[in-house]
Amino acid sequence: MTITRRLLGKLTLGLIGASALGGVAFAADMPAPFDKPGDVKIALVRYLSTGDFFQSYLAGVEAQAKALGVDLRVLDSRQDAALQADMVDQAIALGVQGIIIQHGLTESMKEAAQRAVDAGIKVVAFDVNVENDKIPQIEQSDRDLARLALEQAIKDNGESWKAGYVYVAGIAPLDRRDETWKEFKKKYPGINEAAMFGTMDNPIANSVANQARSVVSANPDITVMFAPYDEFAKGVKIAVDEAGLSSSVKIYSADISTSDIAAMREPGSAWAATAATNPAVVGQVSVRALAMLLAGEDPGKSVIVPPTLITQKDLIDNDIKSMEELGAKLPQFAHADVAMPAWMPNPNAK
Amino acid sequence: MSMEQSKTSVTVTNTAQTAPGMSAREIAIKYGFLVLLLGLILFFCISTNGFASPQSAVFILQSVSITGILALGVTATLVVGGFDLSIGSVATTAMMASSYVMVVMGGDALTATLVCILIGIVVGLINGFLIVYMRVPDLLATLGMMFLLVGLQRIPTEGRSIATGMSLPDGTVANGTFSPAFLALGRHRFDLILPNLLPVSVVVLIVLAILIWFFLEYTRFGRMMYAVGSNERAAALAGAPVNSYKISAYVISGVFASIGGILLAARLGRGDIASGNNLLLDSVAAALIGFAVLGAAKPNAFGTAIGALFVGVLLQGLTMMNAPYYTQDFVKGGVLVVALVFTFALSQRKR
Amino acid sequence: MVQEAVFRVDDLRKSFGPVQVLGGVDLELRAGAVTVLMGANGAGKSTLVRIVSGVYDRDAGRITLAGKDFAPSTPAEAIRAGVVTVHQNINDGVVADLDVATNLTLDRLNGKGAPLIFNPRRVRREAKAVADRMGLSIDLSASITDLSLADRQMVAIARAMAHEPKVLILDEPTSSLSSAEADRLFEVVERLRARGVAILYISHRMSDIRRLADTIVSLRDGRITGVFEGPELDYEGAVNAMLGKKVSAGEIVVQTATAPVLKAENLQLAANSRPFSLTLGDGEVVVITGLVGVGKTALAETLFGARQPAGGAMTLDGKAYAPKTTRQAIEKGVFLVAKDRGENGIVPGFNIYENISLPFLKRISNFGVTNRRGERNLARTQIASLGVVCRSERDEMNTLSGGNQQKVMVGRWLTQASRMLILDEPFQGVDIAARRDIAAKLRASANGRATLVFLTELDEAFEIADRILVMSEQTIVGEHRNAGINVDKLLAEIAGQHQMVG
Repeated sequence: MTITRRLLGKLTLGLIGASALGGVAFAADMPAPFDKPGDVKIALVRYLSTGDFFQSYLAGVEAQAKALGVDLRVLDSRQDAALQADMVDQAIALGVQGIIIQHGLTESMKEAAQRAVDAGIKVVAFDVNVENDKIPQIEQSDRDLARLALEQAIKDNGESWKAGYVYVAGIAPLDRRDETWKEFKKKYPGINEAAMFGTMDNPIANSVANQARSVVSANPDITVMFAPYDEFAKGVKIAVDEAGLSSSVKIYSADISTSDIAAMREPGSAWAATAATNPAVVGQVSVRALAMLLAGEDPGKSVIVPPTLITQKDLIDNDIKSMEELGAKLPQFAHADVAMPAWMPNPNAK
Repeated sequence: MSMEQSKTSVTVTNTAQTAPGMSAREIAIKYGFLVLLLGLILFFCISTNGFASPQSAVFILQSVSITGILALGVTATLVVGGFDLSIGSVATTAMMASSYVMVVMGGDALTATLVCILIGIVVGLINGFLIVYMRVPDLLATLGMMFLLVGLQRIPTEGRSIATGMSLPDGTVANGTFSPAFLALGRHRFDLILPNLLPVSVVVLIVLAILIWFFLEYTRFGRMMYAVGSNERAAALAGAPVNSYKISAYVISGVFASIGGILLAARLGRGDIASGNNLLLDSVAAALIGFAVLGAAKPNAFGTAIGALFVGVLLQGLTMMNAPYYTQDFVKGGVLVVALVFTFALSQRKR
Repeated sequence: MVQEAVFRVDDLRKSFGPVQVLGGVDLELRAGAVTVLMGANGAGKSTLVRIVSGVYDRDAGRITLAGKDFAPSTPAEAIRAGVVTVHQNINDGVVADLDVATNLTLDRLNGKGAPLIFNPRRVRREAKAVADRMGLSIDLSASITDLSLADRQMVAIARAMAHEPKVLILDEPTSSLSSAEADRLFEVVERLRARGVAILYISHRMSDIRRLADTIVSLRDGRITGVFEGPELDYEGAVNAMLGKKVSAGEIVVQTATAPVLKAENLQLAANSRPFSLTLGDGEVVVITGLVGVGKTALAETLFGARQPAGGAMTLDGKAYAPKTTRQAIEKGVFLVAKDRGENGIVPGFNIYENISLPFLKRISNFGVTNRRGERNLARTQIASLGVVCRSERDEMNTLSGGNQQKVMVGRWLTQASRMLILDEPFQGVDIAARRDIAAKLRASANGRATLVFLTELDEAFEIADRILVMSEQTIVGEHRNAGINVDKLLAEIAGQHQMVG
């Protein structure tokens, strides 16, 4: 058995990134400017930051930046669109070589991104379309997420069932997941959407639970709940449990967190499967795509981080109880071979 | 001038004579909202399958139990002429605190509950102190507290939600679990008519509603709180310790909010970071709608409970009819406006 | 004194609804003279000032300024015409958050021709000119909040004077000033008089009046009841005309106290006021009278624990009595019917019986639970014994007339036996019938307690008192038994004559 770097990586998955020393050790083989990584400054300009997803994303960005040995600045606008645009200018003034724009509004970020490009700075954007050919888009494929979950639903329940659907219009990832839902309904006429509901009132799970209670009591014959956002799924699960319908309803969702894993693992849980992209991996891919740009390579117009389907059975069979264990036991979840040229250090390896 | 005077006195006598029967407007003001509520229930029963059932009634109570409890607390501050904007964030802070105690520190249900209630008391005391002794206007003091708590609840976990198995800022993994006793607060059901019908949160709501209603209407402390809210100076000159009453009101509000937070945590089974602003808005709406119930034109516990129920019935019915979420906000707003018109325009004329 | 009047008011009338406030007022102001207007509460002073300063419209009458018709419809118009008013509440005359310079030039920042751009240097220059003209020596960059009340008053007057008025109206300008501060104000007023401004000075303070008055005009019940001029002003006559001496002594049977209830030794209301002693006995009704602002309310609140004395000691039934809070006073049986019932007494959200039971809820309640039946019975007793006109004890307070509201306020404190019942201006805004009812009830129930009533109106005092004490300058200066009273001496004491002796 040859010990490859990949295998070594697998063995040490779950530990946080390479030490700075490790980064320096690799430096000799690296293309410019990463032969002197300490001189490379990059900035992460964030629109959204509160919540597990964004915490985890940031951890991924930090891990990959550390693996490369570059200097990372994090600028957080906390959902202030105008401030986020100003922060791009601030980053330009800081003299960074690369910028990751994380979320934001097309209207406010389009020109700021163009200014950065004009200043000779390499830019990648995650989950925001800045309408610029020079800026690669990092995407977690929401359509794939929805597709994986729905394919599992078809597999489990056949092609004909009565569904409840949780959806709030006007939120970009949910809108993209909704497109897939509509395609599936067209493709499988046996799917009957009995109710559509949803709210973003926080705590979201609590508000959705209240709504789902009404829905299941009005439509006790629903067998599948498609809740393509884990907060929605959590709320639906509470309602289904409270209504005593856990055995007759199955929930399919998108996204995952440690507490979601616990909820899915509960004995008799209605939550059958979820499709998820590891936000930490998305963070790593964002930095890698930027690094490729800086090294003069082309990561492609859009860099898609593929999602993973996680079923209740996977979790129980592998005894997975947390996100860390999920990464360790489902390697496809911990690492994506995207934007991964040979010289790129893997943050999951030592 | 004298003509007018005599006219007025004639009207007065007329009213006096018809007093036992009450005028149509007085009836409308007094019972209008209750009739509206009954009409609404009737409408949903007819137009929606499954609305008319004991389960449905319990769902409605359960869906309003947390906002209802918060609303009862804020009613106490409204009674003393104040306001508490921090209740939503007190509830979410209590939710985070109980999760933290159990999941991270490995505490039991009792510790978690006591810590939450302690938080409610402390926040209430600080609010009261700021308002009474530092003379910060109530809206501003509690607004400040709201922001403070929204930030504070995120500090121990660096903004992560709390769930078993989460990794902590120092890299370790939290292995504690929600104690079953605690989860029972959110999930256990008592038998009533049907087995496993009545959730704990509904029982808590009803008990707290009766308690605060009795306290405000039938004890001298409640009466003095109304006096403080209506004319602080007169209450002080009648020997009332005005400051203590005001601070007590904020403590009541804080404790009720933290109880709401405990139930929220027990239902969700994890500590979700949330500002609680929707909880705040819904509960304030319930309390304000309560002004209009029985033509009280003042904050009152019975009205608040009815107000919460009103919002619950509306949302339940609309959801069952597949109405999208924004129409629900719209309808909620509409009800509030109508209730405020009842309170301020119609019943003012009575005076 | 042959000088022609620059400002003249003829037969001014004003009513609010059925209530006539001004019933034909005639007034003349001469340039370079201070005319003092005296009047008790409710005499119509404020209404007169507000009409002249353009806040209210008049119903009838004529006002001329320098021979021309003067009918301002807004305060700004009155100021432009040359009639400037400095209102009683000092903080109405200044903007607290701005500095002195901006305050002095505030009026130039508004209206036509005001510059668009706020130029601090120009403001400072103009402010300095205004201040110099007035002899004002205040740091122009100071913030108003850092100034003493007197300095704020100076700024308000200086600001008014920046308009170069022909007529200046000062409404109780010394009511919140110390005597040293008042002296500075008087110098300014004298300087303005010398410059030929006609000044209407509204005050009750005899020391102010002695110092400044060229003419005294007494206003009572919306009519001028006396004009006093000449080198030797008749101060007592002015007070007499203002209070309306209608001695009706003899209508009541004067009682003598049986035993002392409250004793105060060397009581001092303020740090620099003269100490006084006081004894109030069981079964007697004692009236303390005096002009507005001589410390009557301060004394009432001190006895009730709402205010702490600066010195001295009190005993109640022989035991030391030093209430720190109103609650302690109530527990010891000392009750206060506060003045301004709307502000200090009535709880508007409560009905009659809830208002009556307010202070004694603890006594009526069982283990904290209120006893509504008990409350309603108490209320019904009071309604019957005071003759409150209402439908039932559940009526809202705002359905009652002023007199009936006051009966409820008095009834509130009669539901429980007291050792001392204090009433501060209980006849304010009360019609004569209700006043008689309340007075009769107080006298009839006087046995078993000491009753102390604070009154400004003398004829009200004569109607109710066994003894009358006179207050002036925060201390008691005279005592009279309400039988064959020496009214001249009483008036002299009220007018502050005692100071000449003391």
